[in-house]
Amino acid sequence: MARAHTKNSVLVIGGGIAGIQASLELADKGLKVYLIEKSPSIGGRMAQLEKVFPVTDCSKDCVGTCWLCVLMPRMIECYRHPNVKLLTYAEVKKAEGKIGNFTVNVVQYPRYVKDKCVNCGVCVEKCPVKVPNEFEMGLKDRKAIYTPFPQAIPNIVTIDAENCLHFKKEGCSICEEVCEAKAINYSEKPEQLTLNVGAIIVATGFDLFDPSQIPAFGYGKFKNVLTAMELERLLSPFGPTEGRLLRPSDGKEPESVAFILCVGSRDRRFYSYCSSICCKYSLKMAVSIKQRNPKKEVYLFYTDLRAFGKGFQEFANEAKKIYGVKYIRSNPGELLEDSATRDIKIWYEDTMSRSVQNLTANLVVLCNACIPREGTNELAKVLGIELDNFGFVKQLDEITHPVDTTVPGIFAAGYALGPRTGDIPDSITQASAAVERVFEVLHSRKEE
Amino acid sequence: MKYALFLGCLISAREPSYELYARKVMPHFGIELVDMPETTCCAPFSIQSLDYIGWLAMAARNLAIAEEMELPVLAFCNDCYESLLMTSIILRDDQELRSKVNKVLSEVGKEYKGKVKVKHVLEVLQQDIGVKKIKDSVKRPLTELKIATQTGCHAVRPKMIHPTLAVSLETLDELVKAMGAKTVNYDKKEVCCGGPLRGVNDEISRQLTRQKLRGMKEAGANCVATVCPFCFIQFDLGQLEIKRAFGEEYNLPVFHFIELLSLASGLEIKDWKMRDHRIPVDPIYEKIMGR
Amino acid sequence: MSEVDPNFMHEVANTPRGKGVLTCIQCGRCTSSCPVARFLTEHNPRRLMEMIILGFRPDVLHRLPWYCLSCFTCLDRCPQRGDVGEVVFAIRSLAAREGDVPEGVVEQAKNLFETGRLVPTAEFMLRQRKNLGLPEVSTSSKDAETIMRRTGFDKMMAKARGERSKVRK
Repeated sequence: MARAHTKNSVLVIGGGIAGIQASLELADKGLKVYLIEKSPSIGGRMAQLEKVFPVTDCSKDCVGTCWLCVLMPRMIECYRHPNVKLLTYAEVKKAEGKIGNFTVNVVQYPRYVKDKCVNCGVCVEKCPVKVPNEFEMGLKDRKAIYTPFPQAIPNIVTIDAENCLHFKKEGCSICEEVCEAKAINYSEKPEQLTLNVGAIIVATGFDLFDPSQIPAFGYGKFKNVLTAMELERLLSPFGPTEGRLLRPSDGKEPESVAFILCVGSRDRRFYSYCSSICCKYSLKMAVSIKQRNPKKEVYLFYTDLRAFGKGFQEFANEAKKIYGVKYIRSNPGELLEDSATRDIKIWYEDTMSRSVQNLTANLVVLCNACIPREGTNELAKVLGIELDNFGFVKQLDEITHPVDTTVPGIFAAGYALGPRTGDIPDSITQASAAVERVFEVLHSRKEE
Repeated sequence: MKYALFLGCLISAREPSYELYARKVMPHFGIELVDMPETTCCAPFSIQSLDYIGWLAMAARNLAIAEEMELPVLAFCNDCYESLLMTSIILRDDQELRSKVNKVLSEVGKEYKGKVKVKHVLEVLQQDIGVKKIKDSVKRPLTELKIATQTGCHAVRPKMIHPTLAVSLETLDELVKAMGAKTVNYDKKEVCCGGPLRGVNDEISRQLTRQKLRGMKEAGANCVATVCPFCFIQFDLGQLEIKRAFGEEYNLPVFHFIELLSLASGLEIKDWKMRDHRIPVDPIYEKIMGR
Repeated sequence: MSEVDPNFMHEVANTPRGKGVLTCIQCGRCTSSCPVARFLTEHNPRRLMEMIILGFRPDVLHRLPWYCLSCFTCLDRCPQRGDVGEVVFAIRSLAAREGDVPEGVVEQAKNLFETGRLVPTAEFMLRQRKNLGLPEVSTSSKDAETIMRRTGFDKMMAKARGERSKVRK
């Protein structure tokens, strides 16, 4: 590949859907893209989902398209595209320069595994160490040598040195011994890379509010109170229960599931904004559960049902009329656990009938707030960009420059910008917008 | 450590056992209690409901006395604690309001400068003295006791007034465990005892106490420990009222936790034997004393 | 249905401890948490806020505010600083200005006015304290009276005695 001129290369930080979309568009237009991702695989939050709404190519009866169909081809394309250099398990450490000419120092953390790994899985099987799997939201374990999920890209294993016995000086080298491809290399060191790019796109996504900060909801104490992302993992066919909805306390299928919205969002004690995607995704999951088994009772506790945009209000109406999802306009006060059955009793006031009632559900799902990614503060300092008062990337102007950051030449897309109607189509739209901005500023006559 | 002692109306008028033991056990742990001259009622919620400035002035007058004594205030009653604490926080930050209040106070020859700290007895025991010291000073471990603790609402809520949350629902449990007792986790532990509605709506007041007593009994408690004198009345006298109203008997003796602390630390007030109590405490008392 | 007062919400918002009424989003968490609401359908903190916002002044001021325990469970859980537990104090003081206060509260205010204490110390108790070696209860009923006169309590109590309290016992 020809040596890239700074004006023709771009750094994309974050390998989620926004980062992937931006990378592919830039690459297709002939620019060289460095796509850098902190975790061992690209895919981001979308890879953790079961399905995405609305349905496109698949069976029209289904609530949505499996994430595989939408995301997987893009992930593979990123891997194969000649103009995309994938830097996974790497992090941006320093950035200098200005628009058109940034010098970025990146550290590539050692995987201790060479590219010739074919992900046969033998080392994973034999590894003696188990730790909670971050991708599975802690619902399942992984080994110290692992891929975060089966379809990881790049499709090679990584050794987590913090938990690996070899690196804790306990003399283990089982993975090296069993690897037929001879891909293990314990002596790898972190590598410093210097990249020269003309523009940067920040697409680092979001983290999730820890609901144990609201003790009345019992998260962390009651086994059958989960977060929405944990439910996605349970529903996902590649998840800890292989797609069977089984509740944590006894592994039985719950006959009744209750969703509670605005957990940490619209809450002046924590995050006063609306996370904008929860009403939508809870509808999606509620209907998904109903489609598997219409006899299940599914409840949605909401304050305002924010189903805005194309098709969502209709979907909300359908969920009620056709699928039988029950809406209860209430923000529950507290959850209590039945010590024998581990069922959850929800105390709430039905604001429509104005009566205080309680409802027992086998499983409760908390739709917790989407919050800035951990590490955003540090990244902002490195790049010199400003953050808004919630810690998301601040836009240069909310109306006229929605994907520009406060530093010329650095743009942002996706939930890194915060809950600006942050669902997947919006992230893709913003990624396209950021790509256009990159083009405008790299190839315009005037320097900005 | 020296504190200006604010016992409040209810303890001094109705619960001499509480006062007696408090005055004995705090110095035992090195806390000197200095009486405040000519205090008035702290202005609890019933009075707060009537007039804002009236409340602040009444409470601030007491704070002004402590300010003259140059001592922080130690409160035993939860309502007193909350009223004085809220007043101290509101008047610490709002200068305009403080001058309004001081205008009223000038008529009684007092001025509040906004500098007094207000502490709760549980806070002082946990932070000034420490759970370890209490544990080390136990002479009569309360091993026979399975205690249902009642910390009470106003020692722990609202969190925004107590940002550093000096006392939590676990504090009292920690202290009684340090004295060798067991605690029980009962249904509705954090819910109000119903005290504030006593005399206003007795039916609901009793129902709230009753649901807690039921939970305590079901959880296997053999006695109750309270901090606030209102909670004490709800559970102690309240059991008799509940018996009359619902025909239910719980037979749960109720102790001021300060009494338990005193007995566990080896103190005894001869011939006294806790006369505040309507539900007989003798069996448990004898057990503690090892007789 | 009584008449609606469109200004009532602002009247409450401008009363001390009442400003939370401006931020309530009617989510219902307060009522879901309230221990009294579980026993008494009439006491519904969210509904109370709703009625203030809609302007049902007479309904709110008479009878309704006095069931609240001030346990502050709602305050800890309100996501919008609607703080109905504080707003209750605001509407109670408005009710008190019109003389609408329950018997039990008037009694306590009377004690405070006359003796400086909420609960008077009975004769036998004064003797018992002396026998037990407890110090005399030192109070200033004069100061309490002065403060209460200066802040209008006496007029309030007179009015309350003149009107029948509508709190159901």
